[in-house]
Amino acid sequence: MKKVKTFFRYDNIGLLFILPAFIYMMVFVGYPILSNILLSLQDVSVRNLVKGEKHFIAFANYVGLFQDAVFLKSVKNTLVFTISCLIFQFLIGFLLALLFSKRFSFAKTVRGLTMIPWMMPMTVTALMFKFMFSTDVGIINYIFTKLGLIQSNIEWLTTPGTAMIAVIVANVWIGIPFNTILLSTGLTTIPQELYESASVDGANSFQKLTRITLPLLRPTIESVLVLGFIYTFKVYDLVYVMTEGGPVNSTHLLSTYSYKLSFDMFQYSKGSAVANVLFLILLLVGLLYLKITMEGEED
Amino acid sequence: MDERRLTKGKNILFCTISVILLIVLLFPLFWTLITSFKTEKEIFRIPPTWYPHEWNTKSYAAQIETGDFNMFHSFFNSFMISTGATVIAVVLAVPASYAIARYKFAGRKAMLLGFLVTQMLPVSVLLTPMFIMFRNMNMYNTWGAAILADATIGIPFSVLILKNYFASIPAALEEAAYIDGCTRFGAFMRILVPVAKPGVVVCAIFSFLYAWGDLAYGMTFILDQEKRPITAGIFNFMGQYGTKWSYLTAFAIVAIIPVTLIFIFMQKYIISGMTNGAVKG
Repeated sequence: MKKVKTFFRYDNIGLLFILPAFIYMMVFVGYPILSNILLSLQDVSVRNLVKGEKHFIAFANYVGLFQDAVFLKSVKNTLVFTISCLIFQFLIGFLLALLFSKRFSFAKTVRGLTMIPWMMPMTVTALMFKFMFSTDVGIINYIFTKLGLIQSNIEWLTTPGTAMIAVIVANVWIGIPFNTILLSTGLTTIPQELYESASVDGANSFQKLTRITLPLLRPTIESVLVLGFIYTFKVYDLVYVMTEGGPVNSTHLLSTYSYKLSFDMFQYSKGSAVANVLFLILLLVGLLYLKITMEGEED
Repeated sequence: MDERRLTKGKNILFCTISVILLIVLLFPLFWTLITSFKTEKEIFRIPPTWYPHEWNTKSYAAQIETGDFNMFHSFFNSFMISTGATVIAVVLAVPASYAIARYKFAGRKAMLLGFLVTQMLPVSVLLTPMFIMFRNMNMYNTWGAAILADATIGIPFSVLILKNYFASIPAALEEAAYIDGCTRFGAFMRILVPVAKPGVVVCAIFSFLYAWGDLAYGMTFILDQEKRPITAGIFNFMGQYGTKWSYLTAFAIVAIIPVTLIFIFMQKYIISGMTNGAVKG
């Protein structure tokens, strides 16, 4: 008993405060991660789940994935989806951040209101965009026709290719606020004096942007892009509600394909192998990011 | 960015530009709201009407009366699930973040890293094992399963946000409390938590929003439509009445009521959470 007391006397008393949360996370996140790895090394599907048979088949599920055309397509789709979203949400977010850095009367209010898309439940966002992209009642087809961009209505969500465009547009809409707010905060840390002395030296706006703003904003830009990558790469609800991965798997992402395998086709082991591939990629990117940001920070 | 004060003309110009951009950006919401008050016939009219020519509140009313996809019922489910998840997340994350901010205990770095890594987890990794676990715990098909699962999104986020709040509180404040005879836990509850209250509010809001927006857990762990959260209700409804847009948009509007209220009354906390949260779930 006395030993226990000495152990908790100084810094280790922190353990008493953190353990409840830590144990909770170990039970509901740590254990599932391990059990998912194990599951992906077995052969569990709806055929043998009830019987309780769990054959250990090592990496056969993973090897099998590389002969699975839908999996390979999902990898490609996930990359196309993530990179397109990153580019557009960053560019739009950056322009908005630059606009809000001007001190006009509405700047703060409008910046606040642009945060709304980020707060929406993804299911609702998916519904709204599914409605707007729908073939006959969709407002997007109407506007495009009015502008003379299209002759007849496009079947956005039921044509491969355009379906991908639709889900990207919806996800960019969600991602803009996040980019805007982080870049906007980053901009406020750049000292005004730099711009003033640059003006005195005769620099134009473009030079100020490329010589002052972009270099000084680099750490913020890096974290916005890496975090954006992590969130976008694992997007699930949005695409699942809008297209369920279709038409003809053209919008299947690793996340939606994994869900479909496990809960539609009841191939639990194969589904968890796909999920693990997704997690592994995120983990590598995430740890790289932590390594960059934690440098210089003592903890 | 470079001018401290704008001329009157420029001010008007920027205000106009920003309002136009805002209208474009928020158009989907406006359009959904307008559509929810139109009759099904008017929704299909070409050219589309920019406001409901015939006000129709039936899409909302019908949902109160019929039991099958009762949106107010699923609203209540979502509310209970999100509240439960928020309570768990706040109760566990507040002391945990204090520990990380204040004490250099054994395993601190590893635990911090653990919280960071959980934020990168895709839901699909957890779904099947959690599904099996909840079934074994006899919690499958109850609110409890969704509550426990949703809290795992709020906890790491809250820990990471709050540790900065606690770290910014001067240690002298705590020491003064010890001299006055407070225990560690007493000082934490009576001095530190009240001082860190804005941070606690941010955590509660985000934990609530994450749980409110969740679809995967609610849909996978709860089978009965009467117990499912509103997001799963919308998803089911879309599957069955895919093009009944008057009902669907009304459903969507009901689902965003709490989000709207939180935005109106707690905007400053949201912006603080987004900028401090480094990694969101």
